[in-house]
Amino acid sequence: MSPSETRPPETEGGPHVRHGGSWDLLGSEISVLFRRRRTWAMLVAVALIPILLAVAVRLSSSTLDPGEGPPFLDRVTQNGLFVGFTAMVVAIPLFLPLTIGVVAGDTIAGEAGLGTLRYLLVAPAGRVRLLLVKYAGAALFCLVATLTLTVSGALVGAALFPVGPVTLLSGDTISVTESLLRSLLVAAYVTVSLLGLAMIGLFISTLTDVPVGAMAATIVVSVIAQILDVIPQLDWLHPWLFSHYWLGFADLLRQPLDLGSFAHNAILQAGYLAVFGALAYSRFVTKDILS
Amino acid sequence: MKLVSRNALRWLPAFVVPAVVVTAVIAVPLQAGAAVDLPDKTPEQVLLLVNDSTVSAFSGTVDQSSDLGLPSLNLTEALPEGNDSTSPLGLTTVLELLSGSHEFRVYVGGEGQSRVQVKDRMAERNVVHNGSDIWLYDSSTNAATHLSLPADLEATAQAKSAELHSQLPTDLATPAQLAERFLSELDPSTTVSVGTDARIAGRSVYQLLLTPRTNEMLTSDTLVASVSIAVDSETGLPLQVTVLAQGQSAPAFQVGFTAIDFAAPNTDLFNFVPPANASVTEQTLPAKPEGSTGDHSGDHSPAVGEVPVVTGTGWSTIVEVPAAAVPAELGDNPLLDQLTTAVDGGRALTTSLVTVFQSNDGRVFAGAVPLAALQAAAQ
Repeated sequence: MSPSETRPPETEGGPHVRHGGSWDLLGSEISVLFRRRRTWAMLVAVALIPILLAVAVRLSSSTLDPGEGPPFLDRVTQNGLFVGFTAMVVAIPLFLPLTIGVVAGDTIAGEAGLGTLRYLLVAPAGRVRLLLVKYAGAALFCLVATLTLTVSGALVGAALFPVGPVTLLSGDTISVTESLLRSLLVAAYVTVSLLGLAMIGLFISTLTDVPVGAMAATIVVSVIAQILDVIPQLDWLHPWLFSHYWLGFADLLRQPLDLGSFAHNAILQAGYLAVFGALAYSRFVTKDILS
Repeated sequence: MKLVSRNALRWLPAFVVPAVVVTAVIAVPLQAGAAVDLPDKTPEQVLLLVNDSTVSAFSGTVDQSSDLGLPSLNLTEALPEGNDSTSPLGLTTVLELLSGSHEFRVYVGGEGQSRVQVKDRMAERNVVHNGSDIWLYDSSTNAATHLSLPADLEATAQAKSAELHSQLPTDLATPAQLAERFLSELDPSTTVSVGTDARIAGRSVYQLLLTPRTNEMLTSDTLVASVSIAVDSETGLPLQVTVLAQGQSAPAFQVGFTAIDFAAPNTDLFNFVPPANASVTEQTLPAKPEGSTGDHSGDHSPAVGEVPVVTGTGWSTIVEVPAAAVPAELGDNPLLDQLTTAVDGGRALTTSLVTVFQSNDGRVFAGAVPLAALQAAAQ
């Protein structure tokens, strides 16, 4: 077998032995990730979603009837704080999974494709630690992407439209401060929603040395899950799909605040994390690293 | 050899972890429904438990699901046309609530204070009742309706609305209302027994089982197979109502708490102030309950020939609405064509629990009976 297979097990190499090494590895992974032009391009594109929405609504002379267009879009003209919510609804089905697919699919396969995976493992980093660090990077990207969307939505909304107390779905009104808190809660919800997909992407990334393939496969998985989610004959399957609660953040916009779906979603994502984390571990520690 | 076994070991998590997750997924609900053993009670004692229930304030989540075999409705298309019925009690809304499943949040804060929230996807419908005020709010249209009950009329209005509530599916949100309705129907036509104890919304419950006696009047057998009411063993509050239809294993209709908290909810919840930019409609209730479905509950001024006629007893009761009393809304609602099918002597809507038959001369018959019984009644 390959030389890397016969070396003393890097896997049990012990994160406790070289703790500093883990943090260094994580730091370098994050700085590489966020120095990439690709990452910046994706974040800019994410930030553009609310900006485009807000500008389009601002320039348009026709007013929307309530309930027309994407959720909350008709409220935007009266209250700029709704821009972020509308943008979130628009971005969740395709755009955010797309960016997660690119980042998560690239994690292992990207290094393998560049031929740098071998060198990463030559340092006594260990495969498990490398997996963890790669996943942490992808998870951080989930958070940064949703925060980018939220912040850019709030800023452009405040710049173009009046800002005032926000009407929740229940018809109750909350203050601007509380609505900003709820926006952050929504961002947290969406971040958690994407963690399962990120782990699936990490697993797929361990299967191949072609990063583009892993990215495409991850995105396809997210699209398939959403297609399955709308087929009524498969309703027994729906609660188990990682995408099923993606739009459930609406529950955070009800009064009184309902954290039930947040918990539900988190448990579901934890399940996906466990299953695909185990698969990624098994696949990666037994993989022949040739490049 | 050694290498192979180590690799095999490394593949272990890939099988163990999914197996553990699947086991947890299966085991956790099983444990929630683990056998409950309560002290035995006779049906009468359970009924008394319900009767003596002193719960006046609680909050909870209610799940309602129907499998009535209704034809799938194209509601989005029908909605703009039936837009005069945007009132939350409109026919379209009732039909929508009767198809598929819904989640409600219910808050009851004692005397005359309650709030029901229908959780829709990215939207919510609210009914807030606080003393003499009733607010209806629909977030998808951002429209609020205010009904004020004049103080002196409140008592009669409450009686009236209680009567109306018992007929309208929209108000079956709390199981207590539903259970009351079924308990009042108890008569010699029903066998009442106590089923196996269970656990609903994390609370141990007695299951009151009502089965129609079918030995009499075999010709107009009822469609209802059984009704079971889950009664909280501690407070006597009915927590779940399940209606089974003949020849159908899935419940035809089920409404029940998935979570309940007996603490009084925050009173702020009942002080509803419509959002600043919402369109607000003012209505006074006793004038005319407009927008109410009115199709089964003849709530019109009872002129001669407009009063619904009730025939039969018990489960096989048939309600006949004379042609004059049938609301015009029914005639031109596009949903009706989708719902009904042409049958011998008129048009019929058949579901697994209820059959509605409109004869060619305009009379409407309804009941929890097979279509043939309605057609026979129309003769």
